[in-house]
Amino acid sequence: MVRASRRLLKDAANIGKAFSDFLACPLSKQPLRHCEDSQSRISETIGVSFPIIDGIPCLVPKDGKLLEDQNKSQVENGADPSSGNSERDLLLAVNIWVTGLI
Amino acid sequence: MASAAPPPASSSWGCGRRRRVRCSAERQGLFSRIAPVYDNLNEVLSLGQHRIWKRMSVSWAGAKRSDRVLDLCCGSGDLAFLLSQKVGPDGQVSALDFSKDQLLIATARQDLYWKACYKNIEWIEGDALELPFADSNFDAITVGYGLRNLLDKHKAMKEIFRVLKPGSRVSILDFNKSTSTLITQSQEWMIDNVVVPVASNYGFSREYRYLKASIAEYLTGKELEKLAKEVGFSDAKHYEIAGGLMGNLVAAR
Repeated sequence: MVRASRRLLKDAANIGKAFSDFLACPLSKQPLRHCEDSQSRISETIGVSFPIIDGIPCLVPKDGKLLEDQNKSQVENGADPSSGNSERDLLLAVNIWVTGLI
Repeated sequence: MASAAPPPASSSWGCGRRRRVRCSAERQGLFSRIAPVYDNLNEVLSLGQHRIWKRMSVSWAGAKRSDRVLDLCCGSGDLAFLLSQKVGPDGQVSALDFSKDQLLIATARQDLYWKACYKNIEWIEGDALELPFADSNFDAITVGYGLRNLLDKHKAMKEIFRVLKPGSRVSILDFNKSTSTLITQSQEWMIDNVVVPVASNYGFSREYRYLKASIAEYLTGKELEKLAKEVGFSDAKHYEIAGGLMGNLVAAR
């Protein structure tokens, strides 16, 4: 039983990688990157991460969290964070509105 | 579902005297509360017939070996497990629902049943109105008793259309909102005199009373066909089954 569970989890990890190939950001519909460290799926397009909880990806828009580090690195590189991609800003604004932060 | 958003004007609302449709968060809460008894009640209330209707729905979807398929509003996974067997170990099943509690029951069932092909299922917590998939992704899609519970059915159908591969089909099983007075009255009688009393034994009479209003606010077969064609499906046909109590929309992209 324990060996079977371990095999199931190992197979699930491999399948997780295959499935992640076609999971997309629910807002931008662009591919997601799997982040092993934070156990989350990252939408690079709009700078949002979506958690994986109990092995289940949570891809509801309101569950997305902005990637603060992305903004910090833009400032360090001398870029004006307010002059970001207009589509990205729109999608971020939509996400913020959905999560009720405004 | 955007739980913080007000319902759009295009959603189907009841007439002025009927109770207003519950918001998405309330519905999510409802399905999470009934999750522990959902499967048992389906079995009891349909006298096991739901298994036949679901097999029919999966057949209509046209899923075959090695396909990549989606079960939307998957709940505790009945349709996902059927799809899993259809597409086999080389296929992939994405099963999406907004209720984490239903998904956890689905994963527990997956472990309990343990068929080798069930490894091809990935459970996803998501919003049927904002699907986390790229365009033209799936060879077949099923929706079992889910479309009726979505606030914006037009948007849901547009999303289904978007993620379906050209030439593929969606199969949507649900209660039939009949134009026949006899069938409507039979449904209402059964809900009032069988479903709600049985559900009350499990402590969920209020939750199952929701069923009558939601069927009344759903779309008829013809309206579903029209909606499918409006969003771009090339063909749409609604089949009445179970003596007209249930219906299954099959739409081809």
